Amino acid sequence: MSVFMDLNVNYTADKSQLQSLIETAAHLGFSTVAINYVFEPTVKKKQEIPAPTAISELMDPLPVVQGRSRPIRVLNRLTIVMSDASHFRPTAVEYRRFDLLAVQPTTEKLFHAACMIYDVDIICISVTEKLPFFFKRAPVNGAIERGLVFEVSYSAAIRDSTRRRYTIANAVCLMETCKGKVRPLPVPPLDLRGPYDITNLGLLFGLSDGEAKEAVSSTCRSVVLHAETRKTASGIIYTVKSCSDSPPADCKSRLHPVSQSSGWLMVNE
Amino acid sequence: MSPDLERTPRNLLVSERSSFLDQKNRISSQLDQLHFNYKVCVLLPECSSAPSHLDSALNTFSSFYLIRKLPLYELLDTHFLETVRHGGVSGLSYRTRLDEDNCVALMPNGRLSLSLDKDSFELLGVEGKPSRFNHRTKSRFVVCVDLTDSSMAPGGRGYQRLVTGLTSRLPLKTDFLMSLPAGGGASVQALLSRYDWSEHRPEVSSCSLTDLLCPAPLTSDPPAPLTSDPHRLLEWLGAVHAAVSCENSSSSFLSSLVCPEPNKKLSHALRVSVCGLLSHQDVQKLIQEIRVYLSVSPPGSASWASVTLHGFVDSPVSWGGEEHGVLRGGDNFLSLMMFPDQSYLLHLATGAHDTCPP
Repeated sequence: MSVFMDLNVNYTADKSQLQSLIETAAHLGFSTVAINYVFEPTVKKKQEIPAPTAISELMDPLPVVQGRSRPIRVLNRLTIVMSDASHFRPTAVEYRRFDLLAVQPTTEKLFHAACMIYDVDIICISVTEKLPFFFKRAPVNGAIERGLVFEVSYSAAIRDSTRRRYTIANAVCLMETCKGKVRPLPVPPLDLRGPYDITNLGLLFGLSDGEAKEAVSSTCRSVVLHAETRKTASGIIYTVKSCSDSPPADCKSRLHPVSQSSGWLMVNE
Repeated sequence: MSPDLERTPRNLLVSERSSFLDQKNRISSQLDQLHFNYKVCVLLPECSSAPSHLDSALNTFSSFYLIRKLPLYELLDTHFLETVRHGGVSGLSYRTRLDEDNCVALMPNGRLSLSLDKDSFELLGVEGKPSRFNHRTKSRFVVCVDLTDSSMAPGGRGYQRLVTGLTSRLPLKTDFLMSLPAGGGASVQALLSRYDWSEHRPEVSSCSLTDLLCPAPLTSDPPAPLTSDPHRLLEWLGAVHAAVSCENSSSSFLSSLVCPEPNKKLSHALRVSVCGLLSHQDVQKLIQEIRVYLSVSPPGSASWASVTLHGFVDSPVSWGGEEHGVLRGGDNFLSLMMFPDQSYLLHLATGAHDTCPP
């Protein structure tokens, strides 16, 4: 197991409220949190992607995690609520300012695209209402192979009994479709709960003991590492010797871009 | 697929009934196998204050040391290794969580156990094996080293590799609790002088209880065999020690725990707990004193006594030096119910991520 992480602490403009959320998270035992900036583009007017506040400006020094001797680690995350394919711009410079990238698709076509094509880390599933589409095994497996994770929010399940029914039903449906291969990230926007409480809630969603605990620890760690890789590695150059006796100048090299960030990996055959 | 909500987390409970007078009783070895003891809780019925010999046993538990930010390579210091080889030195990392951080345990027989996360294990570069309690991915590894072995003598290959690992590749520092054998303080003075350390005595707290509900078979003379489920008995005992009400009143939703039926009210009882890094010898001595107390008490007063010994939740090892883990809880404890005729009822319990108690 790795350290507990909460990758969905909703951003508020009220700095003191955000600080108290981070302090609560540290007190509950989370070693890493990600401040989530939700961006919902509309067709009508052009909106700017919000710029994340620097962590040092937000809180300095960061509170120490309860029961450990290290301060909490704070990341920035962007969630794009998509109702159209044009809402996600892979080449946008603004995305680079965030550590984690998430999308919340609202149609089946976008869900499929997010699972198979988009260069993101997290796919958010809204579970508080009846989903307009069903989960198909193919895109879900495709997403898992690419290292993406699905996120299910449980905060509504805590507050409202009707929404609790929808949350549990939708989450169980997601688990069933994927035969337990999906490892969700149950995280609350507002009401923080301790990591062991979230583990217990995961049991309601149909996860086993081990899977539920992984959802708050190892899965989050793999998401953060996936995000770091996504931001740094962008392509592979591999060189192939055309013939054994010819000088190096004849060696061909091929460029394979993966995404349009900076940095290239060199591989020699 | 609906989750089985009534299924509680998996736990293991071993129950044994025997007598101290029986030659073949294993109580001593069973007590010794729980290496790192955090708390001992004693419950004495019909008693409002501890008799003097018991009181002195409770208040003379050996002290232990807390060293802050101890670099782990210091455990391989030549002089310290000499002390470890004599035996009796035990230590545990403090404020490290077994399911999140790197944890260290040094057992009295000289075995050093490091429970490391994946990144730390890969950095350290010393032979180890994946944890038995890994779920799908191997995210936790255990490195076990016998410090008394010849390969771990200073200069030996195993020793060099581990020292290099802990100094240059993975310079782990952790707060460390250490317990030494009697008179062992002098030998580690050099080590202690290099770091911020403090000596602590185990904390004793006692509480006199009145009108305590208790299972009736325990209070009969002679005590009748307990027919209730051991889980319910231990639940009741835990509720008493945690000061949780067993009344199950309709106005309170906090606890629905009840004392197993049939039950009887005790006019008073004494509850004592001792917390710290406790040594086996002190615990054995305490049990001995309680046996004496039971045998000399007039009939009809003390018809039983209970001692519960809790192991550390975040210790990398529990019963017999086997690996311990934390899933949703990391309990490993021992509950001993003693009677005036020198018989006892022993319960050994662990959580989901643990081996079967001996």
